[in-house]
Amino acid sequence: MDLKIVSPVRFLRRIAAGRSKNKGQTNPRPELLDMPVEEARYVVFDTELTGLKPKKDSIVSIGAVKMAGGRIEAGNAYYRLVEPRTELTGRSIVIHGIMPSEVAQWPDIDTLLPEFVDFCGDSVLVGHVVSIDLAFLNQEVKRILGAPLINPAVDTFALYRWLRNREDNICAYYDGTAENAALYALAERYHISVGSAHNALSDAYVTAQLFQRFLALLPGLGIRTVRDLLRIAVP
Amino acid sequence: MILEEVVQFLQEVPPFQFLDDETLRGVASSVFIEFFPKGAVILSQEGPASDFLRIVKKGGVKVYVRSGDDEEVIIDYRSEGDAFGFLSLVSGDKSRANVTAVEDTICYSIDKKTITSLLDSKPAFTEFFLKSFLSKYIDRTFTEMHSKSLLYGGGDRQLFTTHVGDLAARDVETAPPDITIREAAERMSMRRISSLVITGEDGVPAGIVTDRDLRDKVVAKARSVDDRISSIMSVSLIKVEARDYCFEALLKMIRYNIHHLLVVQEGRLKGVVTNHDLMMLQGTSPISLAREIEGQQSIDGLIPASKKINKMITLLLKEGATANNITRIISEINDRMVRKILEMTEKKHGKPPLPYCWIVFGSEGRKEQTFKTDQDNAIIYADPPTDSAGAAADAYFERFTADVNDALVRCGFPPCPGGYMASNQKWRRPLRIWKQYFADWIHTPTPEAILASVILFDFRALHGDTGLADELWEYLGVTLKDQDIFLKYMANLTISVRPPLGFFKTFVVEKSGEHKDKLNLKFKCIAPLLNIVRLYSLEKGVTETSTLDRIDALRAIHRTVAEFGDEFAQAFEFITLLRIHHQFDQIELGKEPDNFIDPEALTNLEKKALKEVCQLISRTQDSIAKQYNPGMTM
Repeated sequence: MDLKIVSPVRFLRRIAAGRSKNKGQTNPRPELLDMPVEEARYVVFDTELTGLKPKKDSIVSIGAVKMAGGRIEAGNAYYRLVEPRTELTGRSIVIHGIMPSEVAQWPDIDTLLPEFVDFCGDSVLVGHVVSIDLAFLNQEVKRILGAPLINPAVDTFALYRWLRNREDNICAYYDGTAENAALYALAERYHISVGSAHNALSDAYVTAQLFQRFLALLPGLGIRTVRDLLRIAVP
Repeated sequence: MILEEVVQFLQEVPPFQFLDDETLRGVASSVFIEFFPKGAVILSQEGPASDFLRIVKKGGVKVYVRSGDDEEVIIDYRSEGDAFGFLSLVSGDKSRANVTAVEDTICYSIDKKTITSLLDSKPAFTEFFLKSFLSKYIDRTFTEMHSKSLLYGGGDRQLFTTHVGDLAARDVETAPPDITIREAAERMSMRRISSLVITGEDGVPAGIVTDRDLRDKVVAKARSVDDRISSIMSVSLIKVEARDYCFEALLKMIRYNIHHLLVVQEGRLKGVVTNHDLMMLQGTSPISLAREIEGQQSIDGLIPASKKINKMITLLLKEGATANNITRIISEINDRMVRKILEMTEKKHGKPPLPYCWIVFGSEGRKEQTFKTDQDNAIIYADPPTDSAGAAADAYFERFTADVNDALVRCGFPPCPGGYMASNQKWRRPLRIWKQYFADWIHTPTPEAILASVILFDFRALHGDTGLADELWEYLGVTLKDQDIFLKYMANLTISVRPPLGFFKTFVVEKSGEHKDKLNLKFKCIAPLLNIVRLYSLEKGVTETSTLDRIDALRAIHRTVAEFGDEFAQAFEFITLLRIHHQFDQIELGKEPDNFIDPEALTNLEKKALKEVCQLISRTQDSIAKQYNPGMTM
């Protein structure tokens, strides 16, 4: 018997896709899926979180940049700090350098989310190990707007692994995941400067540049449409 | 954050750095950040127009065209801070060249709308782009009209100082809109004009018809020539004000892709200006300089012309001419100058008693002169039949050469510090003595003999009885046959100066003195490469003297050159251009040109290319060492 393992996020998305029909929303338009990857619009995003458990933790900041095909739009960035709905733990204070006293001045997620959803429009969402960000984001979107995002999503980490396995390299087949695939390690590998600021926007920008380099490789590997891309870069 | 990065970068890039902060931020926010992997084709010749003005943020691109016989002709390399795609963007015309990333390249790309609004509102911005791109446009129209001439024209200063009104043809031919196409064409061919302005009853221009309209809208479309002229005229009249500067006219021509503009003054038609008029405005072209030299009657008359040579080189550089073309044009002009001086001096002293040949060597012999060129010349005269004829010839040529060398000094060719000049009796000899010199050097290769060979064996005939030079070359070829000892000494000289690259691929620079932290490009890079190519030529009896011609001749007969010919040629082209640009910058700053460059001041692309050149020289030297000196002590 064939047991299929479905990741929680994909599972959620399936349910969401089914449910969204009832709500009168549409699935990713077929014309979007058939669009060449170099013509599609993307929103590359990253979030900072108070922790990794969706039940306990919440979003502290959202950063995103837009791409028209392989072109990053320098003037079209999105960056907001969010008053977390959950308490800041000591650990996340250390990581993000955000003090509890600061956050009270920031707008809450209920105010910001419609604006961010609007920013995303019907673009393809892109992120590095994006399933975590998506889980948090969708939790809020569902709570506030009633249904999760229906935008198709692409994971640069999954894309990297797929590309690695296409390389003519015996080691890649042996173990494609052994090496460090953290965002900054990949950035270094692809000569992307990461700068000094480390926040959701700068990480989204690094991810966008990584995605840009991957996009340049895809046509040579037979990946032409958004549909093809979604197949190989599932979060 | 991303925006700040873009703003910071553009603040360093002309002409964006001239924009005020607010405008610059506006431009930055319209930037698209693009990535092109090494080898990616960004624009292709005859392909669609460029959608963006692209500025290289990181990496570099190669701009090149494919000629008729599918040969790749490199126009330029653009690296960090350089832009490309401007002309194609503003004109909406097909791209004129191919642009390919030579390494992984990030571009900041600005769309047409943003650029157009800058061109409309920021004169400094407009002027910069026109200055850097328009000479190429002029060059293109020039080549279209004059097929392929080496001595093409150039210059842009007057475009910025001359009013369109001063240039426009005044007697504009006009016609009413109801004449037929045939009648209009007849008028145009009778008056030998390429455009006809159609005016209404009130004398106000209603349209214009040009040669191109007749070609595109009548002949190509097989339209009846009995149709009214108004059916094919261009009604959207593009005008320029008589008080506008010529570069504004040129900008309009490029933007609207037209060759004729109406010139108006206070709303009334004043004339027509064509791209041909703008081209003729170019003053200091090599052709006009050559003509000026031809027209002179005295040495004094030549002096002002000689002073224009540096200016001409400046213009050629601005036009993006290749090093090879620049040095060839300089040689061509200098040759004319020398020939003119020789003819004048012959007139002064009367017919020479024996036929002679004026030969030049060193960089002049190789046709590789740049800004500062010492004299390197000599005379071969026919063997005198008697001793008294010999004495008479010696006396004549002594007076003759003294005058010629002096005239050359007055025309800006400094005397050779080593005394390699025809006025030196040693280098003013009958053919048989020359043969004796060559034989002695080859059979007894003392250090002095090797040094003389390196200089003299690049000789070529410039004026007079070239048969004498031919005979000497023939003699040299025969004498060199199987002279392994001599070639071994030449080989030792060739490998004695190593290129300035250290163990860790860093540049080796002067450690102290006036040129601390700089490297001597001529001594460390150019001379070693010249020596390699000369050695190979002597090995194979090649009689060409210019380095690139030698490389071409050697491709078919020399194993190493057959394999690395392109690399040698590109290396030579690159370091020559580097040297010319360096000397040009010094002259612009009012300094004496030298050969010391600061490797840290080079762009990454230049550094990389220079390192590759050094490695090529070094590898070739290793192979020469192996070939000639297995176990020999130097």
